[in-house]
Amino acid sequence: MSAIVIHDLQKHFRVKEGLFGAARLVRAVDGVTLSVPAGGTLGIVGESGCGKSTLARLILGLLPPTAGQVLVEGQDLSRLDRRARARLIQPVFQDPFSSLNPRRRIGDIVAQPLQAQGIGGAEAARRVAAMLEQVGIAPDMVKRFPAQLSGGQRQRVAIARALVLRPRILLCDEPTSALDVSVQSQILNLLAGLRREFALTTIFISHNLAVVEHIADTVAVMYLGRIVEEAPSRDLFAAPRHPYTRALLASVLTPEPGLGVPDVGLGDVLPDPSNIPPGCRFHPRCPVAIARCSTQVPPRVDGAECHLLATAG
Amino acid sequence: MSLLEIEGLEVSFGQTAAVRGIDLSVARGETHCIVGESGCGKSVTSLAIMALLAKGATRRTRRLTFDGRDISRYSEREMSRLRGHRMAMIFQEPMTSLNPAYTVGSQLAEVRTRHLGGTKAAALDRAAELLGRVGITAPGLRLGQFPHQLSGGLRQRVMIAMALMNDPELLIADEPTTALDVTIQAQILRLLATLQAELGLALLLITHDLGVVARVAHRVSVMYAGEVVENAATAELFAAPRHPYTRGLLDCLPVPGKLAPGAELGSIPGMVPKLGPDFVGCGFRSRCPLAREECAAPVPMRGAPHLYRCVIDA
Repeated sequence: MSAIVIHDLQKHFRVKEGLFGAARLVRAVDGVTLSVPAGGTLGIVGESGCGKSTLARLILGLLPPTAGQVLVEGQDLSRLDRRARARLIQPVFQDPFSSLNPRRRIGDIVAQPLQAQGIGGAEAARRVAAMLEQVGIAPDMVKRFPAQLSGGQRQRVAIARALVLRPRILLCDEPTSALDVSVQSQILNLLAGLRREFALTTIFISHNLAVVEHIADTVAVMYLGRIVEEAPSRDLFAAPRHPYTRALLASVLTPEPGLGVPDVGLGDVLPDPSNIPPGCRFHPRCPVAIARCSTQVPPRVDGAECHLLATAG
Repeated sequence: MSLLEIEGLEVSFGQTAAVRGIDLSVARGETHCIVGESGCGKSVTSLAIMALLAKGATRRTRRLTFDGRDISRYSEREMSRLRGHRMAMIFQEPMTSLNPAYTVGSQLAEVRTRHLGGTKAAALDRAAELLGRVGITAPGLRLGQFPHQLSGGLRQRVMIAMALMNDPELLIADEPTTALDVTIQAQILRLLATLQAELGLALLLITHDLGVVARVAHRVSVMYAGEVVENAATAELFAAPRHPYTRGLLDCLPVPGKLAPGAELGSIPGMVPKLGPDFVGCGFRSRCPLAREECAAPVPMRGAPHLYRCVIDA
């Protein structure tokens, strides 16, 4: 059974260019449908401007969608109040320097979600201490401020704060992008362990394909507001089908000397969510586009949206 | 003799030793990567070479030569004649390196006229030629645009063109693709590698990304806590890393297809220490699984040509 179902989610922004400019419609998220089975990990990859962070905020209920729904265990998140939502889904963001209140002590930061639910006193203190221990933060750090911690320790605190209510879903938006690789691996190992222990359902958003391959069992590739390919992680990395997924994988520089830097063949046209091309939205950059791609929206066949796959299959 | 030769470079900021005696050389036609994590001193090293360190920093060196000339005692005036001309630099964030108030064309042209003189028209011709060279379509149009009108990838291409305006011999690039998307990163690195080979540049590339190192470097220096802990030809370093830090770092990297699902990544416990001026010995010993008593004494480099700074035989 799916722990979370995202159904045809859309978010359109009206953006004015300059003081007297005409308003343009930015289709940041443009019809995303995804689901994650209980205990599963869904990775969402894409480049800047593809809408992945807007999608994260929609899933968390921090932004109202233009259309569509997010259901957690059958409950529509938009019909729940903040406290009920907080018990179901919690975030970990990229930058542990700005996501932790610099004027509060570590213990208070982790206790805050409990206080918001009306849990305080000895019970809250006990749960905070247990949670901090689980993320590898020593008890003597409870009285410290975020500025006294390293980047990795801050991200551990952010994870403790997210899990202290025992939510069903953990949404991580680029949780290791600001960290050094040696710290990144510590955090990824920690997340993997916690996921097993709490039977968490995880959504893991990242631009780093190697990290997503390591942590996710299903991967969705996002391009200009849509999921252009979704597949089990192993299949997607072994045999990417959509031309954009192929380009994205080709651009991953694995530490293998002698291979040089590949030609990803994407050209200079950059994706612009306020000016989405007709037909297949990837066609201006696609190295294998055919005439139909610029006029017709591609159908979704076996998890990939591409005309060539539809005809070849 | 290499184009750039450094011996015993030390940089300190008050009570912090940022660079603790490193040797480094870059030959013409060679790409040398300095790789390391935040705070290891890699960017400070590049700024020290260019004499661009912030006030309050102290630089000492036994030897710092460019094309055989001692530049360690150059005045600011002599250095600024060299910078942007025979040695050029590219930074991570092009938006902060480009002046938002001037067009791309006038900024590129100024680099040329300031060092080599000549007319602005001739400099603009050269700028247009180079923009084409770095893969910018419609260079004439771009010359008239302001930096904010360009995407991140285009800005970084403009920075590369600007660095090449006066045919430099040494190019120092500090995390040139870190702020970019992976597909754009691949395009920019490919461009840099092509230019390096065609122009015979000595390229000193500073990065935290071992994937980038593997794909573009001829030679690698791994830095940790202000020291070069390993220095080897790229293929050698990845095939048989000798320093425990290098090995630990490589184990931390998730590589698609290499690790069984659910397997743990390697990790290096602890964190990078802040070292004072009196610190002696291996800076990695507090995190090293193999540390012993001798590690507290100065550890020399050994094992040429695959150099490493460790008391334990690799």
